[in-house]
Amino acid sequence: MSLLSVAGITKRFGGVTANRDVSFDVAPGELVGIIGPNGSGKSTLFEIISGFYRPDAGEVRLDGGPLTGLSPDRVCRLGVARTFQKLRPFAGLTVVDNVVVGALTRTHDVRHARARARDLLDRVGLADKADAHARTLSTGQRKRLELARALATEPRVLLLDEMTGGVDQRSIPGLVQLVRDLHRGGLTLLVIEHNMRVITAVAQRIVALYLGEKIADGTPDAVTRDRRVVDAYLGQAYTQ
Amino acid sequence: MRGTWPAVAFFAAAALGPIVVRDAFFLDSLILILLWGASAAAWNVAGGYAGQVSLGHAAFFGLGAYSAALLGTRWGVSPWIGLVVGAVLATAFGFILGFLSNRLRGPYFVLATIAFSQVLLIVASRWRGFTSGSEGIPVPFRPGFWTLGIADKRVWVYLVLVLAALLYLVQLYLERSRRGYQLAAVREDEDAALSLGVPARRLKVAAIAASAALTAACGTLWAQYVGFVDPYYVFSVDLSVRFCLATILGGIGTPLGPFLGAAFITLLETSLRARFGGIGAGLVGIYLIIYGVVLILMVRFAPQGLVPWIGDRLRWRPRLGPTA
Repeated sequence: MSLLSVAGITKRFGGVTANRDVSFDVAPGELVGIIGPNGSGKSTLFEIISGFYRPDAGEVRLDGGPLTGLSPDRVCRLGVARTFQKLRPFAGLTVVDNVVVGALTRTHDVRHARARARDLLDRVGLADKADAHARTLSTGQRKRLELARALATEPRVLLLDEMTGGVDQRSIPGLVQLVRDLHRGGLTLLVIEHNMRVITAVAQRIVALYLGEKIADGTPDAVTRDRRVVDAYLGQAYTQ
Repeated sequence: MRGTWPAVAFFAAAALGPIVVRDAFFLDSLILILLWGASAAAWNVAGGYAGQVSLGHAAFFGLGAYSAALLGTRWGVSPWIGLVVGAVLATAFGFILGFLSNRLRGPYFVLATIAFSQVLLIVASRWRGFTSGSEGIPVPFRPGFWTLGIADKRVWVYLVLVLAALLYLVQLYLERSRRGYQLAAVREDEDAALSLGVPARRLKVAAIAASAALTAACGTLWAQYVGFVDPYYVFSVDLSVRFCLATILGGIGTPLGPFLGAAFITLLETSLRARFGGIGAGLVGIYLIIYGVVLILMVRFAPQGLVPWIGDRLRWRPRLGPTA
């Protein structure tokens, strides 16, 4: 039984088809990676799953219930949270208040939300920054903040758009460990990631997109050896 | 209640005013400060907390002023009922403006709000048969509390003080409640707020509608106090700018800011006009130039507004909640 099911998703922008008949399933507790070169439709797919775009065809289901056509806030309340590739912290709010906003989706009690937010900041390693303004954080810290904020909404599935993108090399292992821990804790994740070493290390399964279509779906080993994936995305450098 | 003592001091001082000073000019200034402060606070609900900057809030102020004045002069209805009618009308128009805010962003929304108040100005000034057109409406003085025919300015002070305190509490709610946090998120980044389960559009519309209703209530009380409604004044862009300016000078998105800003503007304006305003003082209109220069200096040296500026100096943290 799949928790998140993407079935036949097609999305066009004018003459450009960003997604063409993309289907795959994510089982409960699974960590699925999405790879593909720039413009292959990964982010569009995330926008569709999270309710920001409406697909031209196809359907997204969470635990059997339809998500397509619902507004992003409804999708979140049903249990699908996301982060943004271009990070979007509430820059004028403090770090803890950023997370409180997420927590308030599940509780009406501000004090309770605050306690939960502090716990989550502790979990992502931002406890010492709780009272700083979000705009003072580094990119790596902002990634952690977005993670904490999304987790505060108590998602059943978490969509991570570019887990390590734009982060300096030294911060990557910490982020990877964090995602691993979340997964180990039972969370279901769908992760877009450019860094092949990272995604092959954490994902149980990888879906590869190319020009809007799914060209491979399988274990990291199988996908990275797939002829079409190598040609489309990895090129010579990776096979050597 | 950490952080609220400056507001408590402000309102307590206003409450003590009529007991200590009996001077009519002083009482008049106090009433206007509280009224303009309440109006600016009502603007702050949309402009500050929800981040929907409007330069058309005079429309709601005018709706409140006209509703009570017309119902009173034409049918002898109590201004309290007029206040409710004005607030209901303003809520309806606020919803329309709120839906517009979901389509128009930034400067386009601001332009739409200006156009909106101008449309009401045209209606009020041209519909002679009903509104008396550009002549305006004198509000009849009928003695009594139910008819708001109150000659004693001290009573007016307490009346508008209740309104001002109410507006302060509304803002405090927006600073500390769940809805306040969510509104702050919408103001900071609407898409990010949506992604966290915040019903952004509904909240924005509700904030604008509430702001409109509260502004209308201020308009009703103002008209009843002043005793005359002039369409070119109550629907003017100048008036909308005044609400916005008072809030920005005092501290946008802070609950006490609109009141301090209104006090500052009102005192500056009246003192400059008294000193430099007369023909005898030489340069006619020089007070406007000084007024403008002071405003520029304020924005230059206290860009966040008086509340944060004073707060920084006294190491008092006025902003506990999710405000920018």
